[in-house]
Amino acid sequence: MVSAFTRIVASHHALVHINVDGVDCVAPAGEPLATSLLAAGYVMLRHSPNRHNPRGAFCLMGVCQECAIHVDGQIVQACMTPVRAGMVVQLRGAV
Amino acid sequence: MVSPHCHFDVLVLGGGPAGMVSAITASQNGLRVGLIDEQSEAGGQIWRAPWASSPQGYESPEARDGNKMRDRLALSSVTCLFGRRIWSVTDRYRVDLLGADGVETFQAPHLIVALGAHERVIPFPGWTLPGVMGLAAATIMLKAHGLAPPKDWVLAGVGPLLAAVAAGYARKGHPPKAIIDLSGPSDWFAALPSLASRPGLFKQGVGWVLSIVSSRIPIYFRHAIRRAEGQDRISACLIGPVDADGKSIDGPEVGIACDAMMVGNGLVPGGEVPRLLGADQVYRHELGGWIPECDPFGRTSLEHLYAIGDGAGIRGGAVACIAGKLAGLAAAHDAGRIDAGAFAHQSAQALAEHRKLSAFSDAMAHMIRLRPAQVASIEADAVICRCEDVTRQDLVAAARAGARDVNQLKHFTRCGMGPCQGRMCGDVAAEILAQEHRLDRQAVGYWTARPPLRPISLQSMLGRVDYADIPIPKPAPL
Amino acid sequence: MSTMHDLIVIGGGINGATTALFAARGGMDVAVIDRGPLCREASGVNAGTLTMQMTRVALIPYALRAHHMWATAREWLGHDVGVVVCDGLSLAFTEQEAELLAFRAGKRREAGAPITLITGQQALQIEPGLSDKALLAGHCRVDGYANAYLTGLAFRTALLDAGVTLTENNPATDILQTSSGFEVVTKQGPLRAKRVVIAGGVWIEEMMGWLGIDLPIKTLVNQLAVTERIPTAMRTVVGIANGLLSLKQYPHGTVVIGGGWQGSGSREGGTCSLLPERLVGNIRLACHAVPALKDARLARAWTGFEAETRDALPAVGPVPGIHNAYVIGSIHSGYTSGPYLAKLLADQILGREPDLPLFPIDRLLKPEPLAQG
Repeated sequence: MVSAFTRIVASHHALVHINVDGVDCVAPAGEPLATSLLAAGYVMLRHSPNRHNPRGAFCLMGVCQECAIHVDGQIVQACMTPVRAGMVVQLRGAV
Repeated sequence: MVSPHCHFDVLVLGGGPAGMVSAITASQNGLRVGLIDEQSEAGGQIWRAPWASSPQGYESPEARDGNKMRDRLALSSVTCLFGRRIWSVTDRYRVDLLGADGVETFQAPHLIVALGAHERVIPFPGWTLPGVMGLAAATIMLKAHGLAPPKDWVLAGVGPLLAAVAAGYARKGHPPKAIIDLSGPSDWFAALPSLASRPGLFKQGVGWVLSIVSSRIPIYFRHAIRRAEGQDRISACLIGPVDADGKSIDGPEVGIACDAMMVGNGLVPGGEVPRLLGADQVYRHELGGWIPECDPFGRTSLEHLYAIGDGAGIRGGAVACIAGKLAGLAAAHDAGRIDAGAFAHQSAQALAEHRKLSAFSDAMAHMIRLRPAQVASIEADAVICRCEDVTRQDLVAAARAGARDVNQLKHFTRCGMGPCQGRMCGDVAAEILAQEHRLDRQAVGYWTARPPLRPISLQSMLGRVDYADIPIPKPAPL
Repeated sequence: MSTMHDLIVIGGGINGATTALFAARGGMDVAVIDRGPLCREASGVNAGTLTMQMTRVALIPYALRAHHMWATAREWLGHDVGVVVCDGLSLAFTEQEAELLAFRAGKRREAGAPITLITGQQALQIEPGLSDKALLAGHCRVDGYANAYLTGLAFRTALLDAGVTLTENNPATDILQTSSGFEVVTKQGPLRAKRVVIAGGVWIEEMMGWLGIDLPIKTLVNQLAVTERIPTAMRTVVGIANGLLSLKQYPHGTVVIGGGWQGSGSREGGTCSLLPERLVGNIRLACHAVPALKDARLARAWTGFEAETRDALPAVGPVPGIHNAYVIGSIHSGYTSGPYLAKLLADQILGREPDLPLFPIDRLLKPEPLAQG
């Protein structure tokens, strides 16, 4: 994917597979999902419920709720959710 | 419902510098302390534990200080309750949490609130586009996750964090394409004498400047983002000049192609818990906004409730540590664990240090203060409330329809009713309302704090329960 | 010298604002004062349910007429309060609840509410979002909800359009009886009128005290919660037999969960707080009724006061022994029935015969009231 966010530190964490909208991705286990998604080129995560405008992770510290997406069927904040092997991620918000 | 865990004398909410130091201090003085944080490790934002690399991976004074304090915490008798989301805080002092194992309840006679601040971003059309992120988010990516924005990224906003992020990424070979600084060189020079009062930080600052200069990053002083453009992601931004107050002024606008932007305009104290409990509040523009009224030890208007750190007024990490020490001592004193003499003796040094740091904190807080003129320059079509897509013109229309305080504004527009619970829009929405009515910020008030303190799924609150177990109150009269 | 109004209404909630509106439209010079903004207490923070199935039997005839008023709010109020008219279902999950439901639905039907009893399976056809665990349901086509937080905006505009003098954020502190009527002492100075209506919600006890009348009012602290916007999970108003659940999804997607679970706090203190275990109980009940709600996130919970008289029936009518003083409040399920009762009171004040009787407070006063001439 073009112009993705780049990893600049070699991670010592094990890589695991997660599924993002049907696509297999690898990510370091335990990393906040929002970070993994940025590194994998997923910048847009959802649309706002009122006017359906595209949104992506914004604050990365659990405040803004912009990265609240479906993981294993539940809405969670991707920036507060550690990556686990086999996670099924859907890039859509609560609506 | 399970009865609350009551084996603590004091609960500390928030594991940043203020919370950690207060927890350690209180525990050293004989109190049984529970320290609660949503992250899996202590550190808060400023001392956020490096995650991607080994703890030594990203060398900075903050990383070293953070590691040192985490070591002290590990050696203390503080009980760390991490990985738990605080969703309710009620009277004398019951704290309801949601962790990996579901809902838990703790209760203690003393409560120290050290939940920090959140970032203020002054909205512009397009700031909701993916790829536009907060400046604090940039520091998290840099310090904790080892992630750099794509090559063509711009950095915008105000304050020392701009320089720290620019230099940090420049040193890693990922400098921003441009820095758009709301301040001008004269603002930075004005802050120099107070910077010099903190030689360590001064040296760090000089290092940042050298990195920025040697990377030849173009800097647009006294400029701000006018708008961001793009379809599903930012592809360009337009910048324009501002005056000393942050007001947009006539002058050449510059378009910059970019696929990411990091932008921040200071910090807003996250005072929800003291507000929820009904502690007296005061608006202090120079401290970031509405804060609980506190004595020098962090005692609020409610007995045995203490508020410290940036959530009680933006003062920075060093002051937060001292505030933590003072609140920890005060809690020990108020609980009868240390006598008045020991309390006075032990706190005297901290109070003196506190005074020494104030020039620096004042200068930094001044630099990142809200600029009302910048808010006045926000365009009509800019989204203010991201959750509900409420624009400036929606807020202005509601003000003209008679909304005079922020809670009325919320009712009229749904601004602040979304899942961020008004944290992202509150400061700016209140400022717009105040300006529209030519009132001061005290007069328009603050959002009434409501639980849950962060959204939680209904599923997580249910537990395993039969219908017969739900304690349904007796029916209403027919 | 301040203006001599025909009528001062103290308290700008549903009751006060509607009384003022119809009095003004009937030709009176009316002033409304409120200690805060209009409709920011019970009238703005309640669950907005417009239902017969939680309404007291004695109020059903009023509630039916009030429901019609809400449904046609655009016509008489002039503004949308987000009213949705839909089916309502009151559920019974146990034999005991089924018995309670059948009894209560029967009494309400006798009073005129078009409630029929249907099986759980039939209820599922009306509301596919329901749990399949309901044994019996009360079904009423006259149900629905308003968006309570829009009430203030709507009434504010309507009152100003009707020429009412509106003073918000101006607490009244006393009422003096004068030779020509009343002087209401307020923070911003005295206001004078020939007539006065006390419509101060849970605070009417204190206000009646200014007139020397002892009208005990109990304060309920109702807890409410709302989810973030979610995809359509339900299309009806759902409750349970004993009335301790009200559940509906607004067109914009949020689901409001109520039912009168009690928080703590007092009207004197002004602050109230949610009891977390009761919030959990309310939410368990909600998810039991509509299981899809489990996937939603709780965005906000809050409390609101509700006023109740000794017999839990309304206090609406003239103040005994004090000519030209009136009171309106404590209307159980007051958001549903309030507008109609207020319209009746306005009729009485305007010298017209109300279509249905009011609820005079004589019954609630001690045998020898402290009323002064």
